[in-house]
Amino acid sequence: MWKVYKYTLLDLARNRFAIGYALLLLLVTVGLFMLEADNTKALISLTQVVLALIPLLALVFTIIYFYNQYEFTVLLAVQPMRRQSIIRAQFMAVSTALLLSFLFGVGLPVFAYAPGPIAWTLLLTSAALTLVFCALGMLIAVRQRDRAKAVGIGLATWVFMVLVYDSLLLWLMFSFSDRPIEPVIVPLAALDPIDLARILIMLKIDLAALLGYTGAVYQQFFGSSGGMFVSLVALLLWIQVPAWAATRVFTRKDL
Amino acid sequence: MVIPFIERLNLMDRIAFEDLGKQYGKQWALQGVNARFPEGEVVMVIGPNGSGKTTLIKCLLGLVKPTTGSMHVNGMPVSNDPAYRVSIGYMPQLAEFPRELTVDQLLRMMNDIRDAKTSDTDDRLIKLLNVEALLAKRVGTLSGGMRQRVSAVLAFRYRPNILVLDEPTAGLDPVSAAIVLDAVVRAKHEGATVLITSHIMEEVQRLGDRVAYLQDGHLRFSLPPGAITDVTGEAALATALPKYLAQLPQLHVESL
Repeated sequence: MWKVYKYTLLDLARNRFAIGYALLLLLVTVGLFMLEADNTKALISLTQVVLALIPLLALVFTIIYFYNQYEFTVLLAVQPMRRQSIIRAQFMAVSTALLLSFLFGVGLPVFAYAPGPIAWTLLLTSAALTLVFCALGMLIAVRQRDRAKAVGIGLATWVFMVLVYDSLLLWLMFSFSDRPIEPVIVPLAALDPIDLARILIMLKIDLAALLGYTGAVYQQFFGSSGGMFVSLVALLLWIQVPAWAATRVFTRKDL
Repeated sequence: MVIPFIERLNLMDRIAFEDLGKQYGKQWALQGVNARFPEGEVVMVIGPNGSGKTTLIKCLLGLVKPTTGSMHVNGMPVSNDPAYRVSIGYMPQLAEFPRELTVDQLLRMMNDIRDAKTSDTDDRLIKLLNVEALLAKRVGTLSGGMRQRVSAVLAFRYRPNILVLDEPTAGLDPVSAAIVLDAVVRAKHEGATVLITSHIMEEVQRLGDRVAYLQDGHLRFSLPPGAITDVTGEAALATALPKYLAQLPQLHVESL
């Protein structure tokens, strides 16, 4: 597995899109810090941008890379090695490349301008999001034979998670604002990894007050170490489950 | 349907298919294929487009899981254990490799995956096909023909005793094609069994010890090319084959 990982990563290191992704993130991050004098405000804007951008690019990049590698994947599958090793190596190589791009593009400037616990939370949750959407992209790519369809499903997934689900939650909160629905909202938020990441970062920035009563409940739940632990487990599950499903589909499918 | 068998005792079967079948949805791409291919034989797999050639090859390579039947490779039943593929070399119709790797890195990667030392590998084709000149180049900069040359090198490199070549000459220039076919003959003399799909009847007649003809997923016959030309009285396989097919009983394809 490590052999395939090593060479796939070597291939990705010279991949134009991976390099472009790193430069785009760098441009956005440095730009935001230069435009905004208050570093905490810049971090808030950055959070919004990063939480939307990372899932989109991780999904699309993973799907496209997987299809571009398809013939080579077939050639690997003909070698005396297990299919599990192939897909695991590819998953790890693509996520390593995306994580390195992210650390270079966002990690470096964030630690230069605004180091601290907020920066750490932003980096860790975004890194987890990268892995989540890399795993989801892999799952979509192994299930679909048609590349255009796969990219379409990827985009739909992204729009749903970044926009639709969030709006539904907000609508739910406003419609039932006179009733105690917080215990329902908290687990519902965990069903969308982007929401989960957003809440974690917002709480760290101490914007919970702005979120009103619900925010207070969130803080009570997520802010306590137990809540942090639960949300971390939820994010890890968001990586594990799609990755496991993608491996299962790939090992059984006809290539 | 009677499938003619030429039983050759003393020789080991490199490949054996028993009642092999593959169903895609409602369609049978392959049905009831029984065949044994002994060591040191070049088997030309022919048939119309969509007749099941690729599916048969993919079953052997472990890319496609058969719906029915079983396979033996070098006397061992093919299971989920990928170890049997150590003895198989494969050259696909269209080869693609990671674009940003150099050819040298690609060859090294395959050595690593195969746990092969440089002393174990057969590097004759690297010289003959002039892949030496491509070693420093990135795969993404190679033309289709150059990639096919690299692909041929990889197929022969680990001295497999089973070679599977999917239309090996289709993407190659005439000189490289001749070199690859020479390598096939050499591998055969060294005891390898070679499965080749081809549409070029001249190639089939010249190289093949056996012609395996697939039609609608059924193996219609598996005979030496000489047997087909003898029966029909034609010298060239290209003209003998249609005549031979015409006198075969009609194939009843069960439709679901």
